[in-house]
Amino acid sequence: MSMPIHESSRPQPVIEVEGLTKTFGRFRALDAFDLTVGTGEIAAFLGPNGAGKSTAIRVLLGMLRPDAGSVRVLGLDPWRDAVALHERLVYVPGDVSLWPTLTGGEAIDVLHRLRPGVGVSRRDELVERFELDPTKRCRAYSKGNRQKVALVAALSSDVDLYVLDEPTSGLDPLMENVFTDCIEDLRAQGRTVLLSSHILAEVEKVCDTVTIIRGGRTVQAGRLDELRHLRRSRVVATTRRDPSVLAGLDGVHDLTVTAGGEQAYEVDFALDGERTGPVLAALADLAPSALTSNPPSLEELFLAQYSDSTASGEPR
Amino acid sequence: MPAGTWPLLRLALRRDRVKLPLWLVWVAGMAAYFASAIQIAYPDEADLVAIAAFMDSPGGTVMSGPGYGWDAPTHATAFAGAYALYLYVAAAFLSVLLVARHTRAEEEAGRLELVRAAAVDRRTPLTVAALLVLGAGLVLGLLAFALVLPAGYGAAGTALFGTSMTAVAWVFGAVALVTAQLAERSRAATGLAALTIGAAVAVRGAGDTLGENGSALSWLSPIGWVQQTRVFFDDRWWPLLLCLAATVVAVVLASRLQARRDLGAGLLAGRAGAPRAHARLVGPFALALRLERSGGLGWSLALLVLGLMYGALTDSVESALGDLDNETLLAALGGDAGRLLDGYLATSALFNGYVVIAFALVAGRRLVADERAGVTGLALAAPVGRVRWLVASVGATLVGAAVVAVAGGLGLGGAAALVTGDVALLGRGLAATLVYLPAVAVLLAVAALGYALRPGAYALGWAVAVVAMVVGYLGFALDLPAWLVDASPLSHVPQLPLESFAAVGPAVLLAVGAGLLAVATVAFGRRDLVAG
Repeated sequence: MSMPIHESSRPQPVIEVEGLTKTFGRFRALDAFDLTVGTGEIAAFLGPNGAGKSTAIRVLLGMLRPDAGSVRVLGLDPWRDAVALHERLVYVPGDVSLWPTLTGGEAIDVLHRLRPGVGVSRRDELVERFELDPTKRCRAYSKGNRQKVALVAALSSDVDLYVLDEPTSGLDPLMENVFTDCIEDLRAQGRTVLLSSHILAEVEKVCDTVTIIRGGRTVQAGRLDELRHLRRSRVVATTRRDPSVLAGLDGVHDLTVTAGGEQAYEVDFALDGERTGPVLAALADLAPSALTSNPPSLEELFLAQYSDSTASGEPR
Repeated sequence: MPAGTWPLLRLALRRDRVKLPLWLVWVAGMAAYFASAIQIAYPDEADLVAIAAFMDSPGGTVMSGPGYGWDAPTHATAFAGAYALYLYVAAAFLSVLLVARHTRAEEEAGRLELVRAAAVDRRTPLTVAALLVLGAGLVLGLLAFALVLPAGYGAAGTALFGTSMTAVAWVFGAVALVTAQLAERSRAATGLAALTIGAAVAVRGAGDTLGENGSALSWLSPIGWVQQTRVFFDDRWWPLLLCLAATVVAVVLASRLQARRDLGAGLLAGRAGAPRAHARLVGPFALALRLERSGGLGWSLALLVLGLMYGALTDSVESALGDLDNETLLAALGGDAGRLLDGYLATSALFNGYVVIAFALVAGRRLVADERAGVTGLALAAPVGRVRWLVASVGATLVGAAVVAVAGGLGLGGAAALVTGDVALLGRGLAATLVYLPAVAVLLAVAALGYALRPGAYALGWAVAVVAMVVGYLGFALDLPAWLVDASPLSHVPQLPLESFAAVGPAVLLAVGAGLLAVATVAFGRRDLVAG
């Protein structure tokens, strides 16, 4: 069902999930879910609301016990070895809730001191970069500010794995940039990051691999660049000869032709990556005067995945 | 009426359609219960005369009121003299909670922002809260009148009593409208208003002891005003005009204050806190202690005051009850006429113990609230095992309970030692209270076990505690089956200083508590954390 592509590229994955199933009563939140994240990867974890992202993350943290399947994080069983595992990771929940009577600064320190073996660096720098007022009580913070508290506590910890569940959902665009910079810093240090998100542009900017989950199943997984090859580019060209002949070629989809005046045609089609050569050769014969080709944005990739799955009623 | 008043008032009534009627019926029902129960508890005039001696002493005056008619007590004057104060206080609290719920709490939660963005006048939310609390006060008075009337104390006096309930509810509802403008946080607003109630009770308590039937000081307290109506004795209506005036002044003040401030802001600015955690705030236990601090201090202070009040009565009890042969009272105080003082201390310590149990179960419930809010998940994503987390939380709550118990014991023993001049009573009062801690530990462990199985099952602790408290308080009167009495943890607490200390009971309780907690840690390690 899934399409793990990079399985051979890393010998020792940081996260290794196979056939994970978790049910709540009759509701199957995860259904034979697979996820692999290699060392030093910035891995995106995408899916719509209710797809099972947070449930999967909570299993990875040992807060939920899996019903079936195998789960290894940093070589450990999260349910059995939770404490040993948590010495090597940090977590930022999607909807951060803090101790209402503590200040933001106190909450950051409390979270650090719950990991006594973990080094802390750049705490004050990050407080400043995220423009956080650490003297305010947590109950007075907005959602975005609570998220900043959890992010500062997490990003200033020196651990192997950073598990971030929709960490930017409450941040403004400026703070999103700060966050993206921080992730780049982590990449430079060779840390591993699992980043669940709805914000595809952000994932596109910082992530190496993508796993898409839907209805509790992995519907697509792979390196971002490899996945792009799988998908179609959108080609727009202006030609002097009638491009309708292209419709018969293998790899050309959704062709539309508009007559743009004397000996000028606008053609627009989707092109399968692996058929680029023959189709371009055919296009060259049509005396093109302009040509643009765009790789699919993750947005398109994501939407295509959903519309396809919905149309066939079966994840690909 | 400002724009949006009616739809918002309807919304407020819709939100409270269950809660508000329940509160009103409960408070009015208490009034009816006390009014009738007094006739059953003290059937004859001789019984009334016996309690009159106690109620008319300075201690009794502080605890009840200026006491009109204790010279020739009737059921009506005894009801007004001994119980009305508590009913007035209940009415005041009802108003304060109602107002806080509909003003600052809404604003703090951000819902008011949504409402104010609609075609709603800025004065509307305050108007709605005022209408709601005035209406509730009116209904409370009517209900109190209707429910107390069957006790047969006369329509005129009962009407004055009902109106007094309305007057108190109005005054403190209006005070709460003002405090809702002052504080930024709903809890602080409620606390300020509750403090005003406490001050009103204390001021009239002091004032009433200064002179026969109250002094000038009594007239500084709204509670004093309603007591000065001399209800059922020589019904005076005019002191209620003071209540009406105070209500009008406070409502106007609240609306002036509200007109001057921004949405979400208070007139008392919130303090900035520490930018860094204290060096000792390390690990789950220190964290749990810190989170308990403010609540624990409040409870300690409250129990200290309560203990002082009980302790201050020690002298009066001894002299007033010395030649009493009311068997119910004697049984309640240990059944030994020769050791009334010890019996009184033991009974007072039992009440202290009940408050400590309530504190422990309220404070311990943080486990449930934190897990549901998702904070527990954040903490348990750190290398903190579940066993450690649960034991640290329960342990911190027990430490808090010990502090609250010490405060209550010091209050009881200290005041008893002061009024009698017998220093030994300090230690006895303290020991009599502290000896309840092992039972508190058992009840908290029951709650923790429930929580460990399923967060909602924390209430198991409350269920067991309520049964134990009823058995402990009424066991001697109800003729309960022996197994039930034996099963109650409170039955194994030595009734110091009436009984001598035996280590067996507390030791067994501690062992049972530890065992329950051990089972709880196992259960907690086996279940999923609920989503946050």
